Amino acid sequence: MPKSWPMPTDMSMLLELQMRLRRAVLGGDTAEIVAAIQGEGLDPAARVGIYRHHAFATLGDALQGTFPVVCRLVDRRFFAYAAHEYLREHPPHSRCLVEYGADFADFLDSFESCKDLPYLADVARFEWALNIAATVRDATPLQAEALAAVPAEKAAYVALRLQPSLSYFASPWPIDAIWQANKEDEVRPIELASGGTSLEIRRAGDAVAWCRLDPGTFAFRTALADGLVLAAAIAAATLRDPTFDLAAALRHVFAAGLAVAFVISPELETPR
Amino acid sequence: MTRSRPIPRCSVGIGLRSPHVSEIAATQPELGFLEVHAENYMAETPALDRLLELRRDYPVSLHGVALSLWSAEELDRSHLVRFKALIERTKPMLVSEHLAWSAIGGAYLNDLLPLPYTQASLDLFCRHVEEAQEALGRRLLIENPSAYLRYRHSTIPEAEFIAAVARRTGCGILCDVNNIHVNAWNFGFDPIAYLDTLPAGAVGEIHLAGHHAAEDVDILIDDHGSRVAQPVWELYAAALRRFGPVPTLIEWDTNLPALEVLLDEAHHAEELAHADRYVDAA
Repeated sequence: MPKSWPMPTDMSMLLELQMRLRRAVLGGDTAEIVAAIQGEGLDPAARVGIYRHHAFATLGDALQGTFPVVCRLVDRRFFAYAAHEYLREHPPHSRCLVEYGADFADFLDSFESCKDLPYLADVARFEWALNIAATVRDATPLQAEALAAVPAEKAAYVALRLQPSLSYFASPWPIDAIWQANKEDEVRPIELASGGTSLEIRRAGDAVAWCRLDPGTFAFRTALADGLVLAAAIAAATLRDPTFDLAAALRHVFAAGLAVAFVISPELETPR
Repeated sequence: MTRSRPIPRCSVGIGLRSPHVSEIAATQPELGFLEVHAENYMAETPALDRLLELRRDYPVSLHGVALSLWSAEELDRSHLVRFKALIERTKPMLVSEHLAWSAIGGAYLNDLLPLPYTQASLDLFCRHVEEAQEALGRRLLIENPSAYLRYRHSTIPEAEFIAAVARRTGCGILCDVNNIHVNAWNFGFDPIAYLDTLPAGAVGEIHLAGHHAAEDVDILIDDHGSRVAQPVWELYAAALRRFGPVPTLIEWDTNLPALEVLLDEAHHAEELAHADRYVDAA
């Protein structure tokens, strides 16, 4: 057992100093921290500026690593500016920087300076889904036979749990084509009016993979990913595609190894 | 078949950076160990798999940058849990952290920030080092920071502060020789006197890295972006004389060069360590 040391008596002073330096490092007011800093031949504000520069540069680099195509679409200087504004308002919570940027797309949506690029935030959503797939390991897939034990009258109330690396994402823009084109040295022109996409993104071994889904399949798998029971997922799918074939859809889900577990929804198990 | 290498008391390692991973795996250069930033391997990335593969051939050292041990709020328990899980997977030869804070009020600033050197901040830091050592089940090495500002409130010299931390908590010291040089320049103290203040038996690792001079102002910036400077090599030789041969790391984070350059720096460090041992034996 560690020995216990008394709590420092002026913890509140230390905490206050930290909060003041935090505000200054994140681009806020420096006046309230500089009074606590020795000059020693250099303006205390310039001393704080060294830390601020480092924080913004390295956190900006982390965002650029996660959103490379967003950066290319707007150019590095503009990206640095957007990242700076985002960082000020949304500093990281996680101490692992690959987990930083979950709401960057929402920020871009509301960022006035980006309004000429209406697809930009969706590119960011796509890159965030790629990032999740690259940082989450998949579990052992569930075999279809595992469902054989479910009584027929309860089959509708089965909820499948899907692989943790999976994301489903739809956009009115051809996001995958925009992204792919901007990964090449020479960017081919993209027909923006070519229509939207409904995408499934997941881990595939060491790599990340995605594919376009038809509307029924997309609605079905999105519903499963949201935790809905089969009956509700079928309803969602049929709404988008009246010819939706449940048996085939389930076969494909298992063949692709998308499911990892199932539960029978207790509230719905014995409806009264 | 896994090779098992005894860990020599003096070994020189390099920081493992992703552009070098394939080349290290393919060429298996002679290195004492590989050090990584712990926080870069807490997600289930392919990079973690590569590290675990390299772990079969090299001892690994985990260098934490985000425990924020010098923060006037409770430690982040969930981060400690992730850190411990990584320790269990990588079985590192060394685990280190910093005399610094990097997070407060739910915001992680990705920088190693200072507090004043006072009795209260010493009590705070010691308490957190002990909590972290308890939670991780490991003795930590604590690194002396590079700094660009000093608070008016400070009452304890930096080296005495670190010596007191080692004495009170039983932690080891990661002596970053470049940071001592940078701070000695920035604040005008004698780096040799600093080395003399550290308890020799507590120093468990040395870091060597490059720095650059800031534009316009007379400040050195610790950026790990160039070869180790000559005065830092000289201070390293003095550190070896004082601490004996201890595991030494070549750190390089920005403007990353070819692997060959890091190996060349590591080779130079090894030569100095051997020269020192030769003098000792004579």
